[in-house]
Amino acid sequence: KMAAAGGLRRAGWRLWRARRAVVRCQQCPPLRALQASAALRAASDEHKKEPWASSSQQHFESPPAGHQPEEKPQGPHPSYTGQGGQESEDYESEEQLQHRILTAALEFVPEHGWTAEAIAEGAKTLGLSVAAAGLFHSDGSELILHFVSECNTKLSELLKKEQKLVQLGEAEKKPIDEFLRDAVEARLRMLIPYIEKWPQALSVLLLPRNIPSSLNLLTSMIDDIWHYAGDQSTDFNWYTRRAVLTAIYNTTELVMMQDSSPGFEDTWRFLENRVADAMTMSNTATQVQSTGEAVVQGLMGAAVTVSNAGTSRAVR
Amino acid sequence: VSGAGAALRPCSSRVAQDGINKPVIDRIIRVDHAGEYGANRIYAGQMAVLGRSSVGPVIQQMWNQEKSHLKKFSELMVAYRVRPTVLLPFWNVAGFVLGAGSALLGKKGAMACTVAVEESISEHYNNQIRTLIEEDPEKYKELLQVIKQFRDEEQEHHDIGLEHDAEA
Repeated sequence: KMAAAGGLRRAGWRLWRARRAVVRCQQCPPLRALQASAALRAASDEHKKEPWASSSQQHFESPPAGHQPEEKPQGPHPSYTGQGGQESEDYESEEQLQHRILTAALEFVPEHGWTAEAIAEGAKTLGLSVAAAGLFHSDGSELILHFVSECNTKLSELLKKEQKLVQLGEAEKKPIDEFLRDAVEARLRMLIPYIEKWPQALSVLLLPRNIPSSLNLLTSMIDDIWHYAGDQSTDFNWYTRRAVLTAIYNTTELVMMQDSSPGFEDTWRFLENRVADAMTMSNTATQVQSTGEAVVQGLMGAAVTVSNAGTSRAVR
Repeated sequence: VSGAGAALRPCSSRVAQDGINKPVIDRIIRVDHAGEYGANRIYAGQMAVLGRSSVGPVIQQMWNQEKSHLKKFSELMVAYRVRPTVLLPFWNVAGFVLGAGSALLGKKGAMACTVAVEESISEHYNNQIRTLIEEDPEKYKELLQVIKQFRDEEQEHHDIGLEHDAEA
C-alpha cells in the first residue's frame, strides 16, 4: 500500500512537471497526450513490447523507493543509453522527449514520408511505444517544423563559423552576391536527402494552422543570412532586402523540386541568375535615384537662374 | 544551450543575447528610432521654411542634436538586431509636413510645435525608463544611460522652445 501511494505520488509529480513544461511551450499537444507520454516513459523504463495500459499499472506497483525527483531537466538533453530502467531517474521535459522522438523519426522520412508512421518508427528506435506517434498531429506538422528549425539552426552555426574565420583573417570576406548564393545553396542542400517527400512537406507548411510558425521560421532564417552578410540597414532597405532574398529562396526551392539534372546544377544556375538580377536591380535603383537627384538639382538651378534674371531685369 | 527547448518551439533559431527581454527591448529601440527619425524630419521641415530667419540657428542646433540621437539609435538597432518600423516612409513625409506646416505659421508656430513634440517625447522616454528599471536596472544599465541622457536633451529643447515662444 505504501509503495502504491509512493508510486501514485511519483506519477502525479511527473504529470504535474510535464504539464508545467508543456504550458511553457507554445505549440502544445492536447492534454490527453500528456498522460500518454508519462505512461510512455513508464512503458519504456519497464516493458518495451507490452501495450501501455498494463505497463502503467506495473509502474504504480513497483517504483524505486525513497527517490527524490529532480526539480529541473538537465541542460542539453540526456544521452539515451537504450537500456530500460537506467533512465528512470532522469526527468526530461515533455519538450525534450518530443525533440528526441522527432529527431529519430527523420531517418524514416525518405521511406514513410512526413507521417505518423515515420514518427512511430522513430519512437521504436528509442525504445518507446509506437503510441508515441499519438503525441503529434497525423499530418506530420510538428515533424516538418522540427526539421525546418533544425536546418535553420545548422545554417546559423555554419554562417557563424565562417564569420569567425573571416574575423580571424583565415578566410577572405565574400562579395555579397557570392555570400547570398552560398548561404541559400547550403540551406537548400539540407533538403536533398528528403527531396522526394519535400513537396508534401511544403503543402503542410502552408496549412493555415502552420503558417504562423512556418513564416516565423522563414523570416528569421532570411534575417540571419542578411545579418551574417553584413547588412546594417536601419531604413526601409531592411525590408526590401529581406523581401528580395525571400523571393529568391522560395523560387529556387520550387525549381529544386522539379530539377532532375545531375547534382542539381540547374537549380544552382537558376540561383546564381536570380541573385545577379537582384544585384542589378539594386544598382539600377541607386542609379535611378542619383539621376533623379541630378535632374532635381538641374531644375532648381534653372529656376534660380530664371528668377535672378527676372530680378536683375526689374532692377534695371 | 537552448537547442533542445527552442527547436521544438518552431519559432526563431536566434538565441537571446545574455537573457535580455528581447520583445521589450525590440519595441523600445524600434519606437525610439522611429521617434528620432520623425523628430529629424520635423526639424528639417522647420529649417526649410525658417532656415534663413533669426530663429534658424536655434532650430539648426536642436536638429543637430536630434541627428546624433538618431545615429545612436541606429547603432543600437544593429547591435540588438532590431527591425526598423515599417512606417518609416510615412514618418518621413508626415514629419516634414508637420515641421514645414508649423513653421509656415511663423516662429511662434514652429516653437509651439517643438514644445508640444518635445513634451510628449520626454514623457515617453520617462515611461521607458520606468519600464527598464522595473525589469532590471543592472542588466539594462547602458540603455538606461542613453535614454536618460536623451530625455534630458529633449527636455532642453522643450525649454528652448518655451523661451522663444514667449519671446516671439
